[in-house]
Amino acid sequence: MTSAPRVHLTLEVTGLSSNMAASLLSRRTALFFGVSKLNSFIPAAVQQIANYNPRPLRLNIKDPYIPNKESERTPDWQKTEKYERRLFGRYGRASGTDPTKLWPSHARLEELMAEEREWHPPIEVMLENIAAREKEKAQRRMEREKTIAANMAKMPKMIADWKKQKKEVKQKQREEKIKRDKLLAEARERFGYALDPRSLKFKEMVAEIEKEEKKKRKLLKRRKKEEEQGLPTATAESSQ
Amino acid sequence: MSVTKTTGAKTIDIVKNLPRITLANLRPNPGAKKDEKHRGRGIHGGNRSGRGHKGERQRGNRPRLGFEGGQTPFYLIIPKYGYNANHSRRPQFPPLSLRRLQYLIDLGRVDPTQPIDLTQLVNGRGVTIQPLKRDFGVQLIDEGADIFCAKVNLEVQVASEKAIAAVERNGGVITTSYYDPRSLQVLIKPVPFLMSGEPIPKRLLPGEDLLPYYTDANNRGYLADPDQVQAARLHLAKKYGYTLPDITTDKLFEMLVQRKDPRQIFFGLSPGWVVNMADKKILKPTDEKVLHYYGS
Repeated sequence: MTSAPRVHLTLEVTGLSSNMAASLLSRRTALFFGVSKLNSFIPAAVQQIANYNPRPLRLNIKDPYIPNKESERTPDWQKTEKYERRLFGRYGRASGTDPTKLWPSHARLEELMAEEREWHPPIEVMLENIAAREKEKAQRRMEREKTIAANMAKMPKMIADWKKQKKEVKQKQREEKIKRDKLLAEARERFGYALDPRSLKFKEMVAEIEKEEKKKRKLLKRRKKEEEQGLPTATAESSQ
Repeated sequence: MSVTKTTGAKTIDIVKNLPRITLANLRPNPGAKKDEKHRGRGIHGGNRSGRGHKGERQRGNRPRLGFEGGQTPFYLIIPKYGYNANHSRRPQFPPLSLRRLQYLIDLGRVDPTQPIDLTQLVNGRGVTIQPLKRDFGVQLIDEGADIFCAKVNLEVQVASEKAIAAVERNGGVITTSYYDPRSLQVLIKPVPFLMSGEPIPKRLLPGEDLLPYYTDANNRGYLADPDQVQAARLHLAKKYGYTLPDITTDKLFEMLVQRKDPRQIFFGLSPGWVVNMADKKILKPTDEKVLHYYGS
């Protein structure tokens, strides 16, 4: 609590009767007393102070307006409790307000308490809420970090797989190219000119070559089988 | 008074005799105020009064700022991102620098022998607080921390670490405390509130967003544990390399340990009391229900 700033106006008047000084203090007062002429022998400082025109006090203290509650002509807002309190704040006991009316009534207090219970939880509850929220946030973060760590552990294997797959694809492409080039070269050798790989002739030739190769492979297989069958006997003979 | 002849001496005499400067004998500098022009008077009656010819310019019905004549304006084309989201409801804390505080103390506008809270700062015209503009108090910032040399018991709403260190280095005490908008209005302008004849309201607790700040001893929050605050004071002294002055042996010890209750708005006045300025009296309620409401 502080007091409002006050302005102290100190006035030192020497060699003047207080009566005269009082009449010179303000123009308004001077008019009141009917003094029209200012004496010219007064020092300039006093004259300046005398010319000071203080602001009137805009507060009707002597005869405060207390509205008549019974009258119909009194506006409604002047019959409220708020206005009563305001009157008390301004004029104190002189306002005639019952001081017990300054505080909220029991019914109003119940309302206020209910409001407080609903909207202003105690500090413990709020701290609990905050802790719960923080905990949930931390847990979500932990879970996320765990997922990231697990996925990062899988990462080297995934990268290796990907590299291998790429390599294989490339190898396959290269082989196919070589095969095609070979076929084209063979077709050229066979027909004497460059053949369109989409043409029927070329396709027939490819089919023929495949057939031959199939036959060759079959023969090779059979021979291998025969060799395998013959080999153990040969080894058996040699071992004996 | 001796009769003087030199101009300088005459001037000094005049200055000595002039009254003290007050608002009543001040007036704007010559040429500082300019009379308003009355447009369209005299021989210029039928002319355009300097507003040009026809259209929005002459009639003063120009479209709103950013309007581009009907095409989708720039400010709607550019997508917005949440940097300023919710800005109209964010709490604001106008700054108070240590330099400014030192200035106020040096000029005697704020009395360091009494606890300094927002009432003192506003009363000394040190800060301007507008609760309706979402101001929630002042923040103490560390500008001028090197020149700050006052020993104060200070209560602000937000304080930076360096500012706390600067206050405590001089043997002062600092607390950060929360005021809800209504309590803040009461705190910054006590007299209009007391003139309303209402009982002093109960200060509300901070919301869940601000509560962690005020329960933290590092921020010297008013809801923090006093032991933790003492530990934090020592820790900060160690961090910034100064020895914490012992306030228990201080002459102003009584003043320095004054702290408000978390529900209290003014020093020495409890919530629920009515202060009457006309009678110069304090009215304290005795009704149990009223006491229960204001006491909890």
